[in-house]
Amino acid sequence: MRRTRSEVVGRAVRTAVRNPGRSTLTMLGLAIGVGAFIAMVSFGTGARASVMEQFEVLGTRVVYIWTNMTRRSFGGSAKPLTDADVEALRRDGMVIERVVPRITEMQHVKSVNTTYSMNVTGTMPEFVDIREWSMLTGGMFDDTDVQQRAKVAVIGTTTARELFGRSEPVGQTITIGSNLPCRIIGVLASKGEQTTGEDMDEIVLIPATTYGAFLGMPIGYHELMVQVRDIGLLETAMQEAVPIMRHSHRLSEIEPDDFRMASPAQAAQVARLVSSILTGLLMGIAAVSLLVGGIGVMNIQLVSVAERTKEIGVRSAIGASPRQILVQFLSEAVVLSFTGSMAGVLLGWLASTLVAQAMGWSGGLSVLTMAGAAAFGTAVGVAFGYLPARRAAQLEPIEALRHE
Amino acid sequence: MSGFSIVEARGIRKEFPNMTAPVLDDVSITIDSGEIVALRGPSGSGKSTLLNIIGCLDGPTRGTYSLGGRDVSTLNRRERAWVRLHYIGFIFQSFHLISDNTVLENVTLPLYYAGLGRDEREGRAVELLERVGLGHRMKHRPAQLSGGEKQRVAIARAVAGRPRLLLADEPTGALDTKTGNEVMDLLLEVHAAGSLTLVIVTHDSEVAEFCHRQVFLRDGKVITDGSSHAAHA
Repeated sequence: MRRTRSEVVGRAVRTAVRNPGRSTLTMLGLAIGVGAFIAMVSFGTGARASVMEQFEVLGTRVVYIWTNMTRRSFGGSAKPLTDADVEALRRDGMVIERVVPRITEMQHVKSVNTTYSMNVTGTMPEFVDIREWSMLTGGMFDDTDVQQRAKVAVIGTTTARELFGRSEPVGQTITIGSNLPCRIIGVLASKGEQTTGEDMDEIVLIPATTYGAFLGMPIGYHELMVQVRDIGLLETAMQEAVPIMRHSHRLSEIEPDDFRMASPAQAAQVARLVSSILTGLLMGIAAVSLLVGGIGVMNIQLVSVAERTKEIGVRSAIGASPRQILVQFLSEAVVLSFTGSMAGVLLGWLASTLVAQAMGWSGGLSVLTMAGAAAFGTAVGVAFGYLPARRAAQLEPIEALRHE
Repeated sequence: MSGFSIVEARGIRKEFPNMTAPVLDDVSITIDSGEIVALRGPSGSGKSTLLNIIGCLDGPTRGTYSLGGRDVSTLNRRERAWVRLHYIGFIFQSFHLISDNTVLENVTLPLYYAGLGRDEREGRAVELLERVGLGHRMKHRPAQLSGGEKQRVAIARAVAGRPRLLLADEPTGALDTKTGNEVMDLLLEVHAAGSLTLVIVTHDSEVAEFCHRQVFLRDGKVITDGSSHAAHA
């Protein structure tokens, strides 16, 4: 039986085990480097996914239009958003699929037990479709409810908890303002808290017509939600909406826009870009720490070669070839780098899991990321272990034997 | 003695960069297969340098050296390592055992480098360790052994690869007289058991008495070269 690769590795493992202090120091740098690398990738991915989820709550194919005038104010030249604007956009927008207006104002909301002040929104049934929200129980009001100014409401889970505690809200009645009793017909599924701190589950939706008839229609809608046919047409839709809105508001050529518009998807794109740059930056820092780990391997291996010079001389004297000495030291570097990298994977995974749990991030590390980081760490260790190994292999046996 | 020359060195000169005088100057020596030769001389006479050249640990600055009929004075490092592995065994004054290896691992080391499988290596090492009386110390580390035991391990390691030439540099130098005599007895026993040629560097005239021939060096030159009796006289 000839010497096998596993035997070479076995000897390297024994050497590492017999010198625990030296081995631990060698592995530590790489473990930290690989761990940091994995953690950075994980943090970046988690944070990006979280940002994206938050933007998705606002709808992915939506352009929001707001007026430049302040609420209920008549000051300035800006005009309110009206049904005429809604009609114009629906009629003239080539890439616009639907337009949903929204009025949102702070109102007193009473249940049998308690009263809260919260935002109440008057809108259309498509509101939940555009935002891609789903129902937890019951259903959304429909066009008939809008036409009939039905006294119905759909609420979020926070509103449900605050007003009704643990009891089922659907079928119960709330009073909005001083005299608008509405029957709860549905509860929206939870969207979670936003990074801005806004609770998207603290919401009351009623038909826009009901709102206008019983709570008093403000001078105009607070927001128009414009859904485009395709996510790729967001820019086109925004370009298309400007002249429609300007025409609808009868603005002359020299007058500036009296409205603003923005798209969450575009904001998401910017956020994604920013988070990618940050992730890349963090990964770069982690990669530098990995390189520092590699330099640590080189330093300790150089010290090891210096400490073991006489041993190298003895091995050489009894017939080890320069290549066998090189393989011995290189295999030690492989074993230490691999073990260090695996420890780093464990550290990185642990850090990622803890942070993901604390931040409520979903998803996890891919096996590919962990394997890639381990392979990279090992490669760095081996690359930096080569120089000391070569130095050992090049030692003249007679000089090495004389070394004190 | 067979009469066949295993070592044949002609006009060997060895210079070191930081020294003005050569360490060896025009040294010629022939050693026959099976001989036991003592290299003697005062410190700095060049006997260890000559042993290193004979053992292919070092090359001469000038001159030719043949081992077993093959010129080895111009070999590169890799080739010299191969010659050491297959033809030469070394025994050092300070034993030079690898401290974090067990006794058994130390003895199997040359066999490992020669590419023998684990079973064969260990089988041969166990047999040798039993022969040198250390069958019970195989799992011990060198630090757990006495000086005499360490040198016996070194002898077992030196002959493990079945070399034709055994080179010992002051093999009893670090041992007391009784232990030194035991080690010499073992060396002679090993010599008798295999068709070995033994070259010993020694200051000790008692050790030299064991040898067939004594070569005296002084200032890098061979002063006398003759049988133990003649040299002693």
